[in-house]
Amino acid sequence: MDKQYKLLLVDDEVEFLETTAKFLRKRHIECETADCCMQGLDLLSADHFDVVLMDMSMPGLNGLQCMAEMKKVQPDLKILILTGHGSLNAGINGMKQGAFNYCLKPINFEDLLEMILLARQAYKEND
Amino acid sequence: MGNVTAYLTRKSRSLAGYVLDPIRTFKTFVAGRFKNRLAVDHPSHQDVEALRTSFNTRYRHFRSLLTANNNALQAMAELEKLYYSGESYRMAEARSKIVAILVNVYKIVRNLREMTSGKYAELESRFEKISDDITTIIESKPSFKIGPFILPLSQINRKLRRQTGDKMANLGEISCLPGIMVPQGFVITASATNHFITDVHLAEINRRLQILETDDLEGLYKTCADLQQMVREIPLPPDFEELLQMQYGMLEKSAPGCLVAMRSSAVGEDVAGISFAGLYTTILDVDRDHLSEAYKRVIAGKYSPRAIAYRRRRGVRHEDIEMCVGCLVMVDAKVSGVAYSSYPIGSARQKIRIVATPGLAKGVVDGTNSSDIFLANWQPPYAVVHSEDSTDSIEKRAESRGNPLLSQAQLQELCEKIMLLEDHFKCPQDIEWSFDGRGGLHILQCRPIPQDIEEAAKEKTRDTTATSEDETAIIKGGVCAGDGIASGKVFKVFTSEDAQRFPHDAVLAVEYPLPEWAPLLNRASAVLAENGTEAGHLATVAREFSLPALFSLTDIMRNLENGQTITVDSSAKKIYQGCRKDLLIRKRPRRDLMAGSPVQRILTEALQHITPLNLNDPASHYFKAAWCETLHDITRYCHEKSVSEMFNFGEKIHFDQGMAKRLVADVPLQWWVINLADGFRRDIDEAQKSIDIKDIVSEPMLAIWQGISAYPWQGPPPLTTRGLGAIILQSTMRPELDPAVASKLIVKNYFLILKSYCNLSLRLGYHYAMIESYISDFLSESYITFRFKGGAADMRRKAVRARLLAEILREFGFRVELRSDALLARLKKQPRDYLIKRLQVLGYLSLHTRQIDMVMDQQDSVARYKSKFLREINEMLAAEPTPPGGAEHG
Repeated sequence: MDKQYKLLLVDDEVEFLETTAKFLRKRHIECETADCCMQGLDLLSADHFDVVLMDMSMPGLNGLQCMAEMKKVQPDLKILILTGHGSLNAGINGMKQGAFNYCLKPINFEDLLEMILLARQAYKEND
Repeated sequence: MGNVTAYLTRKSRSLAGYVLDPIRTFKTFVAGRFKNRLAVDHPSHQDVEALRTSFNTRYRHFRSLLTANNNALQAMAELEKLYYSGESYRMAEARSKIVAILVNVYKIVRNLREMTSGKYAELESRFEKISDDITTIIESKPSFKIGPFILPLSQINRKLRRQTGDKMANLGEISCLPGIMVPQGFVITASATNHFITDVHLAEINRRLQILETDDLEGLYKTCADLQQMVREIPLPPDFEELLQMQYGMLEKSAPGCLVAMRSSAVGEDVAGISFAGLYTTILDVDRDHLSEAYKRVIAGKYSPRAIAYRRRRGVRHEDIEMCVGCLVMVDAKVSGVAYSSYPIGSARQKIRIVATPGLAKGVVDGTNSSDIFLANWQPPYAVVHSEDSTDSIEKRAESRGNPLLSQAQLQELCEKIMLLEDHFKCPQDIEWSFDGRGGLHILQCRPIPQDIEEAAKEKTRDTTATSEDETAIIKGGVCAGDGIASGKVFKVFTSEDAQRFPHDAVLAVEYPLPEWAPLLNRASAVLAENGTEAGHLATVAREFSLPALFSLTDIMRNLENGQTITVDSSAKKIYQGCRKDLLIRKRPRRDLMAGSPVQRILTEALQHITPLNLNDPASHYFKAAWCETLHDITRYCHEKSVSEMFNFGEKIHFDQGMAKRLVADVPLQWWVINLADGFRRDIDEAQKSIDIKDIVSEPMLAIWQGISAYPWQGPPPLTTRGLGAIILQSTMRPELDPAVASKLIVKNYFLILKSYCNLSLRLGYHYAMIESYISDFLSESYITFRFKGGAADMRRKAVRARLLAEILREFGFRVELRSDALLARLKKQPRDYLIKRLQVLGYLSLHTRQIDMVMDQQDSVARYKSKFLREINEMLAAEPTPPGGAEHG
């Protein structure tokens, strides 16, 4: 029997969080939301997640710092950074620091879904 | 899903010690692959575990690499599509594609390095270099020199336009001309704006603009409202505020208690003949207490929906425009208007054209006031040759009976000043003017007539007879504010809520042609308005976008229904019911609005580092990491290397002969299968030397095989003497082509398979073909690649065959690259069933195009083969699919 896999969404833009969570749940992807990194870390320590979808620019810890913290808690976590903030270099830096994928908005939801499923597959293969 | 590694892992856990077939297969494979390196013929259990892990890792990286490869190529194709579409695009869209390309190429390099335990280090430095170059290009900003925050108008001229913006630089310059009066005032410069809006604000603005969905009008309005509010809430730095108050104080000395107009004046508007007509904000009647607030509102106007939509359409980034603000003492205007110094331009009959309205000129440019129009001779005494009264200002006219809006003397003075300005700037000018209560003439704005108006005017003089004689028009008349013909459904816009629902390709109908409606021009097919003239801002934008625009149409908001399909012929000032194809054939192609724009220039430069492919030939001496000059080169190089690293297949075949099993099937030629992991049924005997097609579970291989076995091969075609001569000649030149001396490998066809993967290599003596495919539930993982090269005939006939193949493959949706006799066909991101059918096509072609190059010089043979192939392929695809693993020719 496969484990239950769960996605964690971290973004300070509540509207984006809600729309994305609604879209994913409709496609049977279980997910929880956090509006800042600290809340994300709390959820991470209390539950099991395979994939995190996170924005780069958040108040408090930014996306890259947050990713580093999350990787300390769970090194095999697949982290997708979806952001509007961006010099091109930020993307490469994100990858170098261990993101599974890094995307600059705008991106359509179907592409996002596929990206999540690919990350999930990679997680399962490592498992 | 062919999840090989997960499958192996699960099985080895649950059935520890019990060696299942796939693992034994794998063991054989690994032992064969690593035999020389490890010098063990029968590895111990531990070794096998280590090797299994090693294989799993390699294979996982290989698959990630293929996925990243497909994603990178896809994003490159999308970027090129944006660039070549001829449509407008935003920098944000291009940037997002470029990030996708960079990230995926980085993944490709990293995966190749990881699967080869750190080989190919040079790729990293090549990648760093290329990505740095691209970043420098994409993130380039216009250079900017710091200067004073405020400059008095009297000290300004054209040379200072990078500090003051074009509008105020022109006004400053003409203020020194004898007899020209401009309002007193000063300019808050680009340096001041840079002081006011800091890098932190800019980063947030960039972020908000980046995340904007391309087609989301509602989102555009919301983002704009947020950005404008953000700008209005930024506190003015105290030093700047103090300076502003001081300058205003100096104005007040000569005009006590004066009110000022705060006018936008943008730096960078003079690019590529772009008008920016009326897109920015002007605030009138500002007193001392509201100076700062008004300043911020003008600056915030840079982020209005109309300005953003317009910049996007013309390929201008917000960073390319720096906003300055002119602060000018208000003129107590009795009559105002706009004038073109030459109209129509270039015509022998050109005139001075003056549009006048009572009070301020605002009503002319936003179309809310009706106006009088005068045409005057170009030479003194500037006799008025034509005048039009506004139609619906009869009451006002009655009030001022006997007092025309402009007296003869005023018209003459105006014409003199207009010609003085044209002489000074040495080109036709678009001038905004006001007469005050004491009869003084003030020039409020002066700039070259935008290119589009020049073009439209030329078009008119050429094409005056092009008006339709058709009398079936449902509406006639109005003012042509933009030439053209278009059809669409009427959509009436009264409020900004209506605007947000405005559909693509509809005909926009409005009461007043307000600049607020400019964002809708990105999606409208034509514009109709009850009021306004061609001198308005919306008219200017419509002309730039090559949209038909018909203004001053009485009662159209009542006479037209929403959803009613109409055809607008604005040149003929007629509207027809329905879609009139007979008239639409006269439609002119739209101009490329991005041509020469900053965004297009940036992308042109960046693409040079992304899409060109210099490394074409893996056999070439230059096929090296050091020669990768673009991201496409890196992608191509890594793909080639990853395949040969994974399978050492292709150029150097080192695998253990014992691993290959002969395929038992009812098809001529020898076919061999190498199972990489889970390509066979689980219960087959690993020791057997042959494999039945029924025992194959590789989905792509079965599809190819269906194509191969669908029709019997009829053998080589009968040759002409010339054809035979060519073979003999080729064989002497290239001994490896001679079937008599061909090595074992040359005459064999190899399938390398996994459940979801197949690489078929056909070396059929005279030609080389390769089909590779991965079939997955994920679109971005799935692909087919087909390579084909060579033959025994001479180059011309080989090329004819390759061309024939290319034509057929294109019919089935392949993207085909053809160079002489070398063909590369690709399919990506398509659903499973679609790919399966295409694999069948490739299977069919790889068998049936064998040796037909010999007859490619015979008359009609190309056409004959093509029709035969297409007929048989279509029959094959129409037939019921054979269930997997149960192919007929087993």
